[in-house]
Amino acid sequence: MKKNDVILQTVTNVVAFMIILFSLQVFFSGHYHPGGGFIGGLMTSGAIVLLLLAYDIKTVASIIPIDYKILIGIGLFFAVGTGAGSLFFNVPFLTHAFNHFDLPLLGETSLHTAVLFDTGVYLVVIGVTMTIIQTIGESE
Amino acid sequence: MAFQILLNFFLAFLWMFLQNSFNSTGFFVGYLLGLLIICGLRRFFQSRFYLLRVGAVVNLLFIFLKELVMANWAVFKVILKPKLDMQPGIFAMPTTLESKWEVTVLANLITLTPGTFVVDVSADNKILYIHAMDVPDVEDAITDIRESFEKAIMEVSR
Repeated sequence: MKKNDVILQTVTNVVAFMIILFSLQVFFSGHYHPGGGFIGGLMTSGAIVLLLLAYDIKTVASIIPIDYKILIGIGLFFAVGTGAGSLFFNVPFLTHAFNHFDLPLLGETSLHTAVLFDTGVYLVVIGVTMTIIQTIGESE
Repeated sequence: MAFQILLNFFLAFLWMFLQNSFNSTGFFVGYLLGLLIICGLRRFFQSRFYLLRVGAVVNLLFIFLKELVMANWAVFKVILKPKLDMQPGIFAMPTTLESKWEVTVLANLITLTPGTFVVDVSADNKILYIHAMDVPDVEDAITDIRESFEKAIMEVSR
């Protein structure tokens, strides 16, 4: 007797996108409001976990063909690279810089290198969470 | 349906470029004009004019709200009865809806209206197993759901 997950799967197809969008909003609001890389990464991996619950590991691996261990490496590279970038300007390690730029469409935007550091945090959190969950899930 | 909406957005943007007014007002005016054009040329498309479908969705929403109030009232009466003489039961309801979307929406509407609750869906999405708090007559319950929700959902996907 196979269970029929039609309701769960159909709702997941919609809700997963909403969760990812909300996680991005939380990620970008981290500088002025509660939020940031850590909670954003956790929520994005939460959306992927919802996909894992509704479908199975093989299907999700074909939908998102990412090796999460490599994602951890990329995230750490972002964090270390942001820190090392400050050494080129003769300032101490991990000194952040920010400035106001006039971007097309967005207008006057303040860009901060802490966002890049936060991107590193975000990627590491997704990578670690998904690696743990998939490792536990695959070991029969 | 989706193609018509996309075309309408495209016409709205085209109108913005023609008018050189890149704000919400220009978009809105262009959208309304595109709506008129699409309505005039609606026989070119495979599916119906999409505003009819939007109307069907709104209609479904109002049916749901009405059922929600009525079913809550029925449950309220059952709860306040001194004698518990209700007849709970699980019955199978064959559904004529086909796509996964329709089955999901129907199941959720049945679950959200109190007194009935979808327990399971058969493997081929053809039969919904519904638990009802008070079903003196199964046939009545089935025809009730049929008349209200199924027809409205079919109206949306027609």
